[in-house]
Amino acid sequence: MNEFERLQAMVQGQYLPTGSIIHRLDPRARLLGVVLLLVGVTAATSLWGALAGLALAVCLLLLARVPLRYALRSLLAPLPFLLIIAALQVLFSPPAGEDWFTWGMLRINQAGLLLAIRLLLRFAALILLISLSAASISSAELTRALQALLQPLARLGLPVMDGVLALQVSLHFLPFLGEMAARIAKAQAARGAEWGSGTGGPLNRARQALPLILPVFLNALRKAETLADGMLSRAYGSQPQRTALVQLRFTPTDALALLLATLSALSIILIRI
Amino acid sequence: MIELEHVTFRHPNASRDALVDISLDTQPGEWIALVGANGSGKTTLARHLNGLLLPSQGSVRVDGMDTREPSAQSAIRARIGMVFQHPEDQMVASTVEEDVAFGPENLALPPAEIRRRVDAALAAVGMAEQRQRPPHQLSAGQMQRVALAGVLAMQPAYIIFDEVTAMLDPAGRGATLEQMRLLHRQGCAILHITHFMEEAALAERVLVLHQGHLALDAPPAAAFGDRARLRAWGLDQPPAARLAACIPGLPPGVLTPEALLAALPPPPPGWTLNATQLSDNSVTAPAEALVDAEGIAYTYMQGTPLAQTALRDARLRVPAGAITGLVGATGSGKSTLLQHLNALLPLQAGRLRVGPFDLADEHTNRVAVRRFAGMAFQQPEAQFFQTYAGDEIAFAPRLAGLRDDELRQAVRAAMQSVGLDFETYKDRLTFTLSGGEQRKVALASILALAPTLLLLDEPTAGLDPQARAELLAHLGELSAAGKTLLVSSHQMEDLAALCGEISVLRTGETTFSGPAGEVFRSAAFAQAGMQPPLAVLAADRLAELGWAIPPGVSRLETLCCILAGSGEAA
Repeated sequence: MNEFERLQAMVQGQYLPTGSIIHRLDPRARLLGVVLLLVGVTAATSLWGALAGLALAVCLLLLARVPLRYALRSLLAPLPFLLIIAALQVLFSPPAGEDWFTWGMLRINQAGLLLAIRLLLRFAALILLISLSAASISSAELTRALQALLQPLARLGLPVMDGVLALQVSLHFLPFLGEMAARIAKAQAARGAEWGSGTGGPLNRARQALPLILPVFLNALRKAETLADGMLSRAYGSQPQRTALVQLRFTPTDALALLLATLSALSIILIRI
Repeated sequence: MIELEHVTFRHPNASRDALVDISLDTQPGEWIALVGANGSGKTTLARHLNGLLLPSQGSVRVDGMDTREPSAQSAIRARIGMVFQHPEDQMVASTVEEDVAFGPENLALPPAEIRRRVDAALAAVGMAEQRQRPPHQLSAGQMQRVALAGVLAMQPAYIIFDEVTAMLDPAGRGATLEQMRLLHRQGCAILHITHFMEEAALAERVLVLHQGHLALDAPPAAAFGDRARLRAWGLDQPPAARLAACIPGLPPGVLTPEALLAALPPPPPGWTLNATQLSDNSVTAPAEALVDAEGIAYTYMQGTPLAQTALRDARLRVPAGAITGLVGATGSGKSTLLQHLNALLPLQAGRLRVGPFDLADEHTNRVAVRRFAGMAFQQPEAQFFQTYAGDEIAFAPRLAGLRDDELRQAVRAAMQSVGLDFETYKDRLTFTLSGGEQRKVALASILALAPTLLLLDEPTAGLDPQARAELLAHLGELSAAGKTLLVSSHQMEDLAALCGEISVLRTGETTFSGPAGEVFRSAAFAQAGMQPPLAVLAADRLAELGWAIPPGVSRLETLCCILAGSGEAA
């Protein structure tokens, strides 16, 4: 990937239509299942719970036929931060049992090391689960699932459907925004700006991004205006209640998957060896 | 029936009316073309018809319902569909079929009925296979078809097409026009806003807007008869009518290519080709190549599951000092190839020399390459980021280190070469300029770097006939002044007017390159989904009829000159 493609990929969804067994589940089951597992991993109290969560995330990625290298790439960016936090965790852990090393406030002991490992495992599991959901739930399915799950609130008179539509429009707007940013960056590079010439550190990069902001913003506004016209021309807002093309069907398989997700989440929280 | 009565409209904070006292009625099932220069009020008028805008004075009624009436809004918008110029700005949902379902969903139809309509609409535009794909992965032509399907699913009685063909390749344009014909036959009324006079000539009735006034309301034969009057409105005759005007003995009112080709007469007795006649492929000594590309391949997002191959085996030779054309369908890799020539994309495979630079060498100074090969993107005015035209043009030379007098000189020279007066335009706000002026500023902002090679991607897209003709003239002047130009375009008439040589790209491969007259007549050109310009078709047909037309003619002016120069006079 070159610099322009990175700019574009930054906002592009990572959905991979592999058609796996995971992808074939009802989107509501997928969404709720992932949320349950995320809660489970977050609440896990033991090292083994975090480890089980990580193992489960890897299994699910394999089951969803997401290439592991692709998923692991999402771990790379936050890795330095995680390692620093883990190191602090180790050095500043409370006195417990036998210290292997002390120097003023700093000490290294078994309890601190275990805490740090648990933290690393937990974050790895969380990030992989989020990659899994990004790769297996398309934005169309996400909005459909949200729409169905939030239906009870709509009955109470809350404008959730408008909210979900706004989310849907913004989600599908993002790839276009990414393309636009890449196009404008190229146009500026063509006129001598330093994009894509492979020079400069992070500060220089930030400085380069400045002249991008205004045209991207203006173009986005212009696009939003046309989009609004397009939506109004297609009678948006002319009826109090919209209907939907796709009707979701919750099958026994979905129920089973959701049950398994609940049980896994509970075991991750409660497991202790 | 749509009735407009004395409609006047002024945009908020504007100093003059965008529409002035417009009255007209449309008949059910009528096909109307709405033409006018950039900024003449066409889009503003269209937006009045379905109540997106409400008139400041006067009234608009659709089948008896006033657009001011809030309760009529839903019914009016269900009856009038609207397709816009940029299809990607109309996509609402994340899959094709859900996007098409958006309108019927808004009408609160039952799911089974929505399903039926979506299936029918997708089948009608030939996009049923792509129903589950996200719209942003489609080509512009496909997206435009999806946008039309979204309108068809509402089963409207009127459809407004707002410059829908401006960004499409010839195949996409042909398919869209075919779709209009079909809808018209099925009884749907059509309002087609366009800058292409040959498209407007297909209508039953032509409306001309000039500075917000309805300047003309007439059948095409009457509307396109008087060239001088059309030019005063920033318009022109369709190419078929221009060509017909220089063929003696043709009946009046020939407006479409089909009618012209069918009506071409045999040569009058005694007609001979004048020896002084010029062919448009002025044969020059083989110039040295400024760009030499061989075996270029490129894959976007290489090494990820989203990898997409854009070029497989492209070669290109651009002779120094000439204008070279690049044609190919959307997605054939033209833009990708252009972006290699000024080092915006790294070379993945093949070899590429641009002037003195070898781009296969990774130590080549990319910024220097970009200064040597200036690139104007599609719709460059969308990338403006300075408030004043002068600053926009000064951006590149300022980055290159020019200051004060030197900088002023560079900006002045660049503006002069596209016909913009320095004093008049340097302090104009970029967004208040007309479409044609903005395009000139964009071009000047590239020329300010004094590039040796100029790369142009769809330079005339979206311009009205007059602005288009002016821009083409300026490109010709640039070439005469010694610049080398490479023009990628879907407009064969433009390329015929400009180019000596043309290269054809098809699915990432160069399938043919040679002199324009040869390329337009080649099998590779037709296989790439292209349509030759009218002058080529007419010249070949005339030759069949026994006229002594020299081979390789592809320029309308050349053909006219041949026909008129030695007609009865001989």
